[in-house]
Amino acid sequence: MEYPIHILVLKILMKPLLIVLSVLLVITGHLPAASDARPYVNDKKAPENRKDLEVIQGALTQALPKARSATVCLEMADGSGSGVIVSPEGLVLTAAHVTGGINRKITVILEDGTKLPARSLGLVSDKDAAMVQILDKGPFPYVEMDKNNTTLLGDWVFSLGHSGGYDKERGSVVRIGRLVRIANMTFQSDCTLIGGDSGGPLFDLNGKLIGIHSRVGQQLQVNMHVPMHVYLENWDSLQKGEFLGDGDFAKRPEKGKGFLGMATEPRKEGGLRVTKVGKGGPAEEGGVKDGDVVLKFNGTKLETREQMQALLKEMSEGDKVLLEILRGGSPITLTCYLSAR
Amino acid sequence: MRAEISLFAACLLWAGHAAAQQSLDSDYRLAGTQTVMAFEEQRQVLQTSSAVMLNGRKEIGYGIVISHDGYVLTKASEVISAADLSVTVDRTNYPGARILVVDQTWDVALVKIEASGLVPIVYAETSGVPQGTWVVSNGASSRLVRRLLAGIVSAKSREIPASGGVGLGIVLKGEGETLEIAEVGDKSGAKEAGLQKGDLIVAADGKKVKNSADLADALKDRKAGNRITITYRRKEEEATVEVLLAARAEMFHDDGNRNDQMSGDFSQRRSGFPRVMQHDILGNKSIMGGPLLDLNGKCIGMNIARANRAESFAIPVEDLKRIAAALMASSGAKQ
Repeated sequence: MEYPIHILVLKILMKPLLIVLSVLLVITGHLPAASDARPYVNDKKAPENRKDLEVIQGALTQALPKARSATVCLEMADGSGSGVIVSPEGLVLTAAHVTGGINRKITVILEDGTKLPARSLGLVSDKDAAMVQILDKGPFPYVEMDKNNTTLLGDWVFSLGHSGGYDKERGSVVRIGRLVRIANMTFQSDCTLIGGDSGGPLFDLNGKLIGIHSRVGQQLQVNMHVPMHVYLENWDSLQKGEFLGDGDFAKRPEKGKGFLGMATEPRKEGGLRVTKVGKGGPAEEGGVKDGDVVLKFNGTKLETREQMQALLKEMSEGDKVLLEILRGGSPITLTCYLSAR
Repeated sequence: MRAEISLFAACLLWAGHAAAQQSLDSDYRLAGTQTVMAFEEQRQVLQTSSAVMLNGRKEIGYGIVISHDGYVLTKASEVISAADLSVTVDRTNYPGARILVVDQTWDVALVKIEASGLVPIVYAETSGVPQGTWVVSNGASSRLVRRLLAGIVSAKSREIPASGGVGLGIVLKGEGETLEIAEVGDKSGAKEAGLQKGDLIVAADGKKVKNSADLADALKDRKAGNRITITYRRKEEEATVEVLLAARAEMFHDDGNRNDQMSGDFSQRRSGFPRVMQHDILGNKSIMGGPLLDLNGKCIGMNIARANRAESFAIPVEDLKRIAAALMASSGAKQ
């Protein structure tokens, strides 16, 4: 009900009426994605009259449906945060203290309640930036990033987030504010944030993504966001799943603390037979079953349990393990990601 | 219960980056004096048609003027225990304000002051405005001048179920195999009704109850603000009282969850509302009870709870009009 109806109409009409649709697009040409023009209210020290207020309100209500459709809740084993989809393939930006590590299992929840499997990619632990990949096939609703860092002090902005976790009756929560402080690695706004908003998006009035919610101060006015340039500068490493920096927002995994979650015994003919698979552990998630025979561990042929333990000792949380497995006479390969013990 | 990922408390090292950072003067921030000047039209409405509720000289909340002859709506739980209730409208303080009647479900009180020639609020046609729409409510107030805070409608209108379910506000002895009261909550209906530690509950709404499961059954489907008849035994004597039901989580003092701890002041009664609209205006909790205005200066709701540092609730105007009419009728006021 809160979405402008013409967007719904466009969707429904899309297939049979392509020509009509393009005409409609021209008429309603100021849809958020099409607009890059800087609203004049941003260049006023303060709004002066009702018209200025209506311009802010008009831009916000116009940009909101698209921004909201790309805003997601991230559920992990130990809590929930927010995030925002930035590509049709389901790349999600969030905060490092939300994902907390590399290759962690995450459930992404869309505004309508759709749950999607996902995994955390890389993070920057001293700047609170992280990436997540949705594992289902897209296309997903997404927002554009402000890649050129065009935001200025005093610009009107709005935040979205699943405060306190996903709530279907409520939806994600929108708040308005101004950009009140710009520092190297941080934006501060007066959009008030609370637990569960972490990792959620901050938008300019054109609906472009300008920051990700990171942390708050004791005062209501102190709300911090990670600017886009932190993501853009580290983009490739983040996508490759690298753990960057040594900061407080995520703890660097320790070697030898990686955990696979299965018990084995050696088999006469070679390989290790799986005798037990830990519930919810990495092996179970990877698809390992009781009775499977593990022939190879990341390419190394296995003969003894000690051999596998020695290999694990050199690895850490988030590392990928390819298991070549014999099941019912035929070989299969399974992928597991080590968790923290 | 889901534990939210908490936001880090900020302790950034701003020093040392002084050259690289810029900061917006506080006058130009969302709640700044220069910014709120754009809302002067709406402030005028607050000046004449919102009320400041006072207990002695202490400001305890706001209210909505709904008639020229002195009927005012306010948040009941914030004013109910005021010993010396007075109301300021515009520049005049009206002493001896009387609470005529209370709607417990919505936590709304109808208050009467001896006044004439007041300017009643004008109701908006609908609360169904898009999210992102500007709204205005009372900010800090001085004796003569009403100030304002502005924000936007921030989420879907919806029911806020009673936090922890509804209850009488008692703790039972042992595991609940008997209904002997071990503790009575400070701000509970049970305490108000006179129930005490050691009392044994024997019936609810006239039906025998033996254990906590029976009592839970009697409370099923009840809402905050409903009443239930409780029969209890004290020293071999039986008596029956009416107990007001409220959200369990709101009848005992506790430290709250992590989000509460970072929220500063919030309303004691902040759940168990049949329907609210949500906005992002944040005052302290005494902002509650006043009108929520749109840019036309019309009343689209009434502030009823500050839930936490980021979420404020208002009763939507459709419900508010109904509540006002019912309270006026039951108080015997001529409409």
